[in-house]
Formats: sequence, C-alpha cells, structure tokens
Amino acid sequence: MKSSLLNMVLVLFGITAVAAFLVGVVNNITKDTIAQTEQKNKDLAKLEVLPAFEGEAELRDTVRRIGDFEINVTTVKANGVLVGYAVEAPSITRNGYADRINLMVGFVEKNDTTIINGIKVLKQSETPGLGANMTKEGNSLERSAVGKEPKTLAFAVSKEGGSFDALTGSTISSRAYANAVETAYAGYLWAKGELPSAEDAMSGATKPNEEQTTNVEPEAQKGEQNNE
Amino acid sequence: MSKLQIITKGILKDNPTFVLILGMCPTLGVTSSAINGMGMGVATMVVLIMSNMVISLIKGIVPDKVRIPAFIVVIASFVTIIEMLMKAYVPSLYASLGVFIPLIVVNCIILGRAEAFASKNSIFDSALDGVGIGLGFTLSLTAIGAVREMLGAGSIFGYSFASDVMPLLFILAPGGFLVLGYLMVLFNKIAKR
Amino acid sequence: MGEINISKEVIQGFVDGTVSVEAITLFAIIIGAIFVNNVVLSQFLGICPFLGVSSKVETSAGMGMAVTFVMALSAVVTWSLQHFILVPFGIEYMQTIVFILVIAALVQMVEIVLKKVSPSLYQALGIFLPLITTNCAVLGVAIIAVQKDFDLLTTVVYSVSIAFGFALALVLFAGIRERLEVEDVPQGMRGVPIALITAGLLAMAFMGFANVVPLP
Repeated sequence: MKSSLLNMVLVLFGITAVAAFLVGVVNNITKDTIAQTEQKNKDLAKLEVLPAFEGEAELRDTVRRIGDFEINVTTVKANGVLVGYAVEAPSITRNGYADRINLMVGFVEKNDTTIINGIKVLKQSETPGLGANMTKEGNSLERSAVGKEPKTLAFAVSKEGGSFDALTGSTISSRAYANAVETAYAGYLWAKGELPSAEDAMSGATKPNEEQTTNVEPEAQKGEQNNE
Repeated sequence: MSKLQIITKGILKDNPTFVLILGMCPTLGVTSSAINGMGMGVATMVVLIMSNMVISLIKGIVPDKVRIPAFIVVIASFVTIIEMLMKAYVPSLYASLGVFIPLIVVNCIILGRAEAFASKNSIFDSALDGVGIGLGFTLSLTAIGAVREMLGAGSIFGYSFASDVMPLLFILAPGGFLVLGYLMVLFNKIAKR
Repeated sequence: MGEINISKEVIQGFVDGTVSVEAITLFAIIIGAIFVNNVVLSQFLGICPFLGVSSKVETSAGMGMAVTFVMALSAVVTWSLQHFILVPFGIEYMQTIVFILVIAALVQMVEIVLKKVSPSLYQALGIFLPLITTNCAVLGVAIIAVQKDFDLLTTVVYSVSIAFGFALALVLFAGIRERLEVEDVPQGMRGVPIALITAGLLAMAFMGFANVVPLP
C-alpha cells in the first residue's frame, strides 16, 4: 500500500491503540488471577520448606520492610504447636547476575538448636543452565545449607571462605543466594528478638562472651509491622 | 507450493537457524541445555503462528513506510498478552518458559517471517508457515541445546551421565558460538546431499 | 551471644530499615559493560548485525556509531517514559510495546538525519539501519537499565558503554573476517560457520576479563 503522511499516522496510531486496548483488557482480566496464583505459590512454598504436620496450619506473618525490600517471617503452628518459621527474603545486599533473588527458607527448632529445614527459590532471573540451576532440587547451594545449623554457616561461597558450594560457573548467582539465606536467617532472629546488634556484628567473633545490649526492640517493631 | 511443503520447508530447506540464520540471539542465549532450547522453540512457535496470521490479516491496510513499526507493535502486544495469560492460567508452564517470553519480541525470526511470508500470503498459508518455521526452530534449538548440554554438563535433558568432568566452556558463551558453527557445517553437509 | 555470622550491613538493615546496596562505581559499570559483560560476546544480544555487518571494518565502525547513538538516545527516552509515565500511571505492563515503539521511531529518525548529513554513510548502512529496530541489544539495554533501577546518569553511562562494547566487538570481528577472506577456508565452513567459530574464539578471549570488576 502507498504511504502518505495521513495514512501512515492513522494506521500506526490505530494499530497501537487497538494493541494497547487489548493488552489493557487482558491485564485487567488476568491481574487478580496472577496475584492469587502468586500468593498461593508463596503459601505452598511456606509449607514446602517446613516438615509435614497433621492438622490445620495456622500462619502468622511478621513483615519487616528494609528500603524497597520486604522480609516476611511466617510463624507456622499446627494445633497450637509450633512447626517452624518460613521466611521469605530477597538477597538484600547482593545482586544476582540479572536481578535480586528471592528465597523461602524454612527454620525449625529442635532441642535448642535451629536447623534450616528447606529452601525454595521464589524468584530468580539468572542465566538458564547456569545460575538458574539454583531452582533444581538437590543443587549444590541447597545442599550446602539445608539440614545445617544456620549459626554455623558462613554466608559466602566456598572459594571466598564461605560454606556455600557455588553452582558451576555462577559465582555471582551463588553469592546472591547465600546472601538471601543470610537475610532470611537475620529475619528469623529478628522476629524472635534475638538479632545481634550492629556493633556486635562489626567486632564479630573477637569478643564472644561480652554482654551486648541490643538496640532492636522486636516486640515493638512487630506491633508496628504486623498490620501488613 | 502444496500445504505440506510450506510446513516441511521450514525444517530443512528454509531452516531458520541453519539456513536463514535468523533469531541468533535467543538461539545462542538459551541453548545451554536441551530442555531450554525446546522451551524457547515452542514459545516462539506459538507467537510466530499467531503473529503471522494477524499480519497476513492486516497486510492490506498498512502503508509500506510504517510496516516495520506496525508489525513490531503487533508482535510485542502478542508477546505481552501471551505472557500475562500464561502467568494467570498455566503458572507451571510459565515457571519453565517464562524467562524466554520477553526475548521473543526481539527475535528477528518473527519479524523476518512477517516481512518475507505473512505480508504476501493468505492467513491459512501464513499459519502453516508459522508451524513449519516454528518446528524447524524448535528442532534446531533442541539439537544445539542437547550438544552443548552433553559436552558442557555431561547430561542430556537433565539426565546426568558424566558431570563434574566436562568442559564447562560449552555451556558458557564461547561454546554457544562454537557448537552452532560446527553444527551449521554438519547441517550444510547433510542438507546438500 | 556467641559467634555472629551475619554481616553488619544486613543487621543494619533490620535496625534502621535502610540498606546500602553494593555500591557500583561508574568506572566498574563502564569496564563491566565494555569488556566483562560484552553485549555480543557474553550476553548474546545483537548477534544479527554482528554477523551481518561485520565483513568490512569501515561499515562495522559506521554501524557501531549508529547503534551507539540510537542506544544512548533510546535509553534516555525509555528511562524517562518508565519513570514519568509508565510507573506513575501504573501501566508498567505496557513497557515492551512502548519501548519498542520508541526505538522504532528513533531508528526512523536517525535514518532521515543520516540521509541528509552523510549520504555516503547512509549508502553503506542503508539496509542495516532498519535492522537496529530488531537489534535486541537496544531493547535489551533499555529494559536492563530499568530493571536494575539505574538513575539517569548511570543509565546513560551504561548504555553508551554497552554500545562501545558492541562497536568494539564488531570492529575486532570485522578485522579478523577481512583477514579470513584471503585465507583458504575449507569449503563447508565458508561464510557463517567460520564466522561463528571465530566469534567463539573471540568470546573465549573476552572471558579473560571475567572477575576484573564487580558486575553491575
């Protein structure tokens, strides 16, 4: 068809308008379903990272916002008995290769120790075949953390002296993964009111026996954030 | 050209990857494993069939000079719509194919076929062309993915046979170029006979 | 309290609700985008023009320039659209359509300008210019810049560096291909196959830059 300024503008405008309209309509139709599916997946993931239990689950969320990030600690109880904590956390201080990584990490408490019961990747956009392998069951990152006591882990990849065996060829993705587990662990401690103070972390293990006052008041913060 | 020929030519004679050399970016980007190659191929095929049909439908009203922008808008909206529909109604499929979908927008195969075929042929033939080229693309990508996965990770479709000892290079970027290059030589050799 | 294995940045985050994300200097972005994460040789974006326009050093330098211009311009425009229109109106789902339209329009504009300013370059690049529209690198960079939440300055620096990386790969590759022309390449490998294998070797060389700087 011959081009004139008028028909060029009209046709392009028409096509764009129709396209924008259709995309908008589909977006409106699917928006709620997508949100529901995402919520359902998250709820499923919460149960997946915790041990199986009998009876009705009782979930209570404690949310902490840090900048644009959200750490969601869910206390899971069944018949009034604590099953564990499912913590949804992004890698707050480390970027993956493409984007931040979101994990669901399950913590259970047994005989005074805390153990990471399971990890599920909620969101990642790493390279298929490399970093994206973190979603595979039984990958080296998962093996490095699941079943371990988080307080014994060093949240870095093994070639940097950490406890996480990096995925082959994906050090950056693996670092972000370790960071997300670290954030989740911090979130778990925070929700329980056991998060060490920043000064404590700075001095690290050098003065382990000294009494430290914490400047975090989790009870008060819980109150603020609980209305999420 | 018979209807069957339109489909089969996409697999050998007009193979998008090895003969037409279209859509190289997704071809190299996602073929680090066989299953990824297949996923990208199928996702592309669906978009290709639909965009071919719509472009064939609107070919009469689009002025030449704004052809490319107009086609691209059609393709981009299709991709967006498919992404949203998949996310909402087949989330499990989206979880495995999701990452490839936005990449389809810039896959020159779609625009290439829109230009070369759909803008000159009937809706039905254009759909068949989409099926043929889509199949050819899927097969090529699966083959490249399979070779790279076998050489680089020691597994095929995720079933591992010799992990840890394989040269990772084949999964990384250079391996993509090398495997595609050598497979192209092989393809030309077979196709010429 | 025992040994503390959580970094102070993470704890600080829980204490005051702010977190210092790994600071990336502009220098790291520039080096990362040109060498470490070369758009063509490691991210597989913009392969079509890379294979199509790389038979002569001169044309590839011209193509590199055209892409740099379009990429920088489109990154600025798409960034502004994202932050001043798409996000405020809550229509982020229109991102792909809007971005690709902007790029198509910009390419058309560059074509018209080039025709007036430098007819010889236009002659050489003529058929490849429309191809920039489908140069996935241009859309890719626009989307990555938005995804990574870069500010405007970083976006410009990043997209120009990516474009330089593209131009560098293209010119290097064209240089190798010019030499290949006169070599005795086996029959079945002539043309694209040998080009791909050469690109593979070039990509291997670029792998040497890995871990030089923290990636953006």
